[in-house]
Amino acid sequence: MLKFENDRSKYPEKNADGTNIIDLESGKFLKIWQGPIHPGMTGNMSLELIIQGDEIMECKTHVGYLHRGFEKLMERRRFIQCFPICVRIAVPEPDFNEYCLAATIEELAGIEVPDAAEWMRTLLLEMARLQSYLAWIGGQAGAFGMGIIGQWTIWARDLVLDRFEEISGGRIYHMHMPPGGVRSLLPYGFEGRMKDTLDKVSQIMVDVERVMFNNSVFKKRSVGLGYIDPLWVEEYGITGPNARGAGIPKDVRKDYPYLKYGELDFEVSLGTDSDAFTRADVRRRDILTTIDLIRQIVERVPKNGEFMAEVPNVLHWKIPKGETYIRSECTRGEYGYYTVTDGSGYPRRINVRGPSYTHAIALMERMAINLNISDTAGVMSSLHTYPPEVER
Amino acid sequence: MKELIERLGTKFPVNETVFQRDNLTFITTDKIHAIELITHLRDYEGFSHLVIITAVDWIEEGLFQLTYLLNNPKLKVDMGVRVMIDRKEATMTSSHHLWAAVATYQRELYEMFGIFFPGSPRIKEPFILEGWDGPPPYRRDFDTKKYAEDTYFPRPGRETHDPAEHMKEKMYPEGS
Amino acid sequence: MSFKDVLMPFTAWKNLFIEPVTIKKPDQIQGASRYRGFHKNEVDVCIGCGTCEEICQNAAIDMMPVEGIETKDGDSGLRPMIDYGRCCWCALCVDICTTNSLTLSNSFKWNSTDPDDFRFIPGVDEKYWNNDKLGYVKADGYDLNPVERVEMGELHPEERDRSFVEMVTGYSREQAQKEADRCVECGICTATCPAHMGIPAYIKAVREDDMEEGLRILYETNPLPEICGRICTHKCETVCAINHKGDPLSIRWLKRYIADQVPSDKYKEILGTDKIEGNGKKVAIIGAGPAGLSAAHYLALMGYSVKIYETLKGPGGMVRYGIPEYRMPYDQIDKDIDYILSLGVEVQYNTKVGEDIQLEELGKDYDAVFSATGLHLGRSTGIEGSDHDKVYQSIELLRKVTLEEEIDVAEKIVVIGGGNVAMDITRTLARLQNKKYGKVNVLTTCLESEEAMPADEEEVIEAREEKAVIDPGWGPQKIEIEDGKIKGLHVNKCLAIFDEEGRFNPKFDNDNKKFFEADMIVESIGQGMDISYTEKIKDQLEFGARGRIIVDKKSFQSKLPWLFVGGDIIEGPDVIHGIANGHKAAVGIDTYLKDK
Repeated sequence: MLKFENDRSKYPEKNADGTNIIDLESGKFLKIWQGPIHPGMTGNMSLELIIQGDEIMECKTHVGYLHRGFEKLMERRRFIQCFPICVRIAVPEPDFNEYCLAATIEELAGIEVPDAAEWMRTLLLEMARLQSYLAWIGGQAGAFGMGIIGQWTIWARDLVLDRFEEISGGRIYHMHMPPGGVRSLLPYGFEGRMKDTLDKVSQIMVDVERVMFNNSVFKKRSVGLGYIDPLWVEEYGITGPNARGAGIPKDVRKDYPYLKYGELDFEVSLGTDSDAFTRADVRRRDILTTIDLIRQIVERVPKNGEFMAEVPNVLHWKIPKGETYIRSECTRGEYGYYTVTDGSGYPRRINVRGPSYTHAIALMERMAINLNISDTAGVMSSLHTYPPEVER
Repeated sequence: MKELIERLGTKFPVNETVFQRDNLTFITTDKIHAIELITHLRDYEGFSHLVIITAVDWIEEGLFQLTYLLNNPKLKVDMGVRVMIDRKEATMTSSHHLWAAVATYQRELYEMFGIFFPGSPRIKEPFILEGWDGPPPYRRDFDTKKYAEDTYFPRPGRETHDPAEHMKEKMYPEGS
Repeated sequence: MSFKDVLMPFTAWKNLFIEPVTIKKPDQIQGASRYRGFHKNEVDVCIGCGTCEEICQNAAIDMMPVEGIETKDGDSGLRPMIDYGRCCWCALCVDICTTNSLTLSNSFKWNSTDPDDFRFIPGVDEKYWNNDKLGYVKADGYDLNPVERVEMGELHPEERDRSFVEMVTGYSREQAQKEADRCVECGICTATCPAHMGIPAYIKAVREDDMEEGLRILYETNPLPEICGRICTHKCETVCAINHKGDPLSIRWLKRYIADQVPSDKYKEILGTDKIEGNGKKVAIIGAGPAGLSAAHYLALMGYSVKIYETLKGPGGMVRYGIPEYRMPYDQIDKDIDYILSLGVEVQYNTKVGEDIQLEELGKDYDAVFSATGLHLGRSTGIEGSDHDKVYQSIELLRKVTLEEEIDVAEKIVVIGGGNVAMDITRTLARLQNKKYGKVNVLTTCLESEEAMPADEEEVIEAREEKAVIDPGWGPQKIEIEDGKIKGLHVNKCLAIFDEEGRFNPKFDNDNKKFFEADMIVESIGQGMDISYTEKIKDQLEFGARGRIIVDKKSFQSKLPWLFVGGDIIEGPDVIHGIANGHKAAVGIDTYLKDK
């Protein structure tokens, strides 16, 4: 039975260790679950919210609805067999997994990747960034009730996926970067079609800017929402646009130029206000940067030549004992693979650093406090979290 | 990097240094000094960004390797601090006070490897495996294949033939 | 927030006037030309090696026998069946496919209510995409498995053309491991090897650098690894799965590598043959060639007391007396044979059965007899002038070279024959000429054209490197003799060797003639057997085509229960058949004597 007491002070009493004393019987608090299947949720995770009125007092995130133990599965597979599996760790942009896994294996096995393969990889990573961002815009806009934006960008994303299909034969899981290089170079006439696609995407981005970013509803709801203190960046290990939105120029592409990023001309987009709107704007400018980068890369990708280093027979490929860590900049921040080998034909341990690991758990639990329930989805979207890379 | 390792060596036990790349070094230290060393790296050497904390199961040696991968955003170098702990009594000093994100890593390590971090917040709360009562599944002795075979059922009607065996059966059944 | 922010969103209305982007008929969407859709398999090209099954990370592929596809040498008769409940379309199976027969089509639409429909054998089961032109194929320019063989070191022609030093240098450890790495462990070779050696297993031992295990695997089926590792006809390499898109594995050289690594004094310890318990039964073996030695080895291990009767003064048979030393060094022959003899096998040399001792006597004195007397008679072309005393038989010359007897080496020599023996004698004579005259003048001719020559390709190449002339495709007609001296050989162009019915009946172009000058002619057109020692028990045996004794195919037992026959006089001729025969006969003898 709900009892309405006179005491309506906002915050719950604290235990000695700092945890909240939540007495649901008191009638003061209510516990609600948002997710795991919820339209406002970014993927299958859930928030266990203690609310008072419509304000959140306490939040616990729950992941595990997708857990398939990929890190463990890879320990049972040959190095080449890890390559079709790793892509499934981050569904919207599998290429970063492919790249990081391949790069760690190549480093430990001492394989030099041909130049053409590096260009191809750079292209694929940028295309992956583009299509992932396009999907994200839909989510961010949708969280604030603007369904139409998602319809536009999903169409634009499909055009990018068409180009992926041309290169690799797959739309979602491209599986184009086995350890050693890439599986093929660009198909005939690709440049023209890519240019056409980029023009269409740019056009969509103009519309998105007008309708979403110059929109009083969006501004009203997102400006000032979900503030990330620049001091938190180190504390929580925040990377990517979430850190850049707070004015901290963290971008692996610039800081640790991998593949061909050192030869490309681009600026890291920064924001100052560190709220949901700023982060969205940082990502929007990132999309424009990416479009520009793809144009640069397509011009420079070698049309022929070696694209795969010589690898030993992959069926019994043994890699000497060692460990390494390779990072790359995905849409959400620093994506890394920590690979340990023990001299056998199987990896000893592969650990995936998904940027959402800290964004979605520790950071979200802190940021949720005092939020309005209706804003949780918007904040989650503005952190751009993917549960699969939390659970791996 | 070399200078840094030397500097560290004067204050803490540092052994097995591996210079993996120009900007990535792995060092091994002992369990007692590990957190002090990491705190020192964070506060005095600028390794302020925690990249990952993870464990590797060296079941043959009876050890867990804990890897704290730290990043120095100014110098743009990484340092992996390895700590070998006993596999049977898998306990490690908690470092949740150093970074807010650490508690999550430690929760996961407790759940997946059974490495206990006394005092770490919510350490015993399930992280991914709600309702799991088996052994910590990322330990090497947990056989995922066997678990899958025991828990689920194979697709009926599947069989396969080994080419060499099949050829023997067809071409020289009497044996060689 | 400004007034602009209120108005701007209305620009979305412009989409009212834009053509919808929705595809009206989604069933007509085509996959891209590299699309990874359902599998296709060219079943005639596929050899069922199962490498696709091996690489599949999700165990989606089963190897299934298919009606109408026969299990034969080089084809397991199995074809991959895909379980699309597990397939993730990663196309690693396409990339690794040893024959490039497996590809993916660009079709991806197919409905069925029966889940079992999604398990099928591509290329065998009728599917609408089986004739699709487009789809994922492995791009040229990379392989997940190196297709190029690790080159074997050889002495340079100038270093070898006047000596009998072994010309093939053998693999180093690094080379051997690199070569062994290419194996996909399908095991198709095992069925084709007459001795059914555990080839993938010993290649694995090379890879893992476990020579002791390797040696144990070798001796399970082959007690003459040093010999086989050098001169085996390597039928395994012709059927090797890797042969379809690259060079086959150097199976023979890897075998040699294992045997070379183990010193002979370690053999007994490694193979666990320090002590063998005798069973009190006796077996006689006629001929100390590969077949006889192989039988002796396995019989000795089973506890039989074995005695070999050998006509010549040393063991090895054709391996020693037919194959020149530069291919098969004598010390390596001795290494293999000494080990077999150390198991307690006795040899009585210089004893010809049929002359010095009778077969029937052996039959009485021993519990069983294994006869492997080999092919030691030369065959003559029978053309005019071939009875001249400067016309020699290659097999006799080779034997004499081994026995270190003086042989006649003329300045100009013509060899007739296109097999490996012809190459052996050509190259032997070239070396001897080089020593004697400082130059080479040997010409070898044969009926077969260059492509059809039965000799191994590398033998022909190496003979030419040693400055011998090989001129194939000519049929010898007449040996020109003037004043009792050979002038040369008349040949006509050979058009066909066999007639329509496949019988040996060469046809010549009588207008296309040549004359090869020579002082000496060597015939090397095959060998015959001498089984006159069976004369007295002839009526108790059965004979088949070309006078071969008919034996049971499994046990090599003849119609006379105590007599087992094997080696070149039954199958082959080559070393590995002899070894296999000897092994099977040993098992046959054991079964026979146990039942007795």
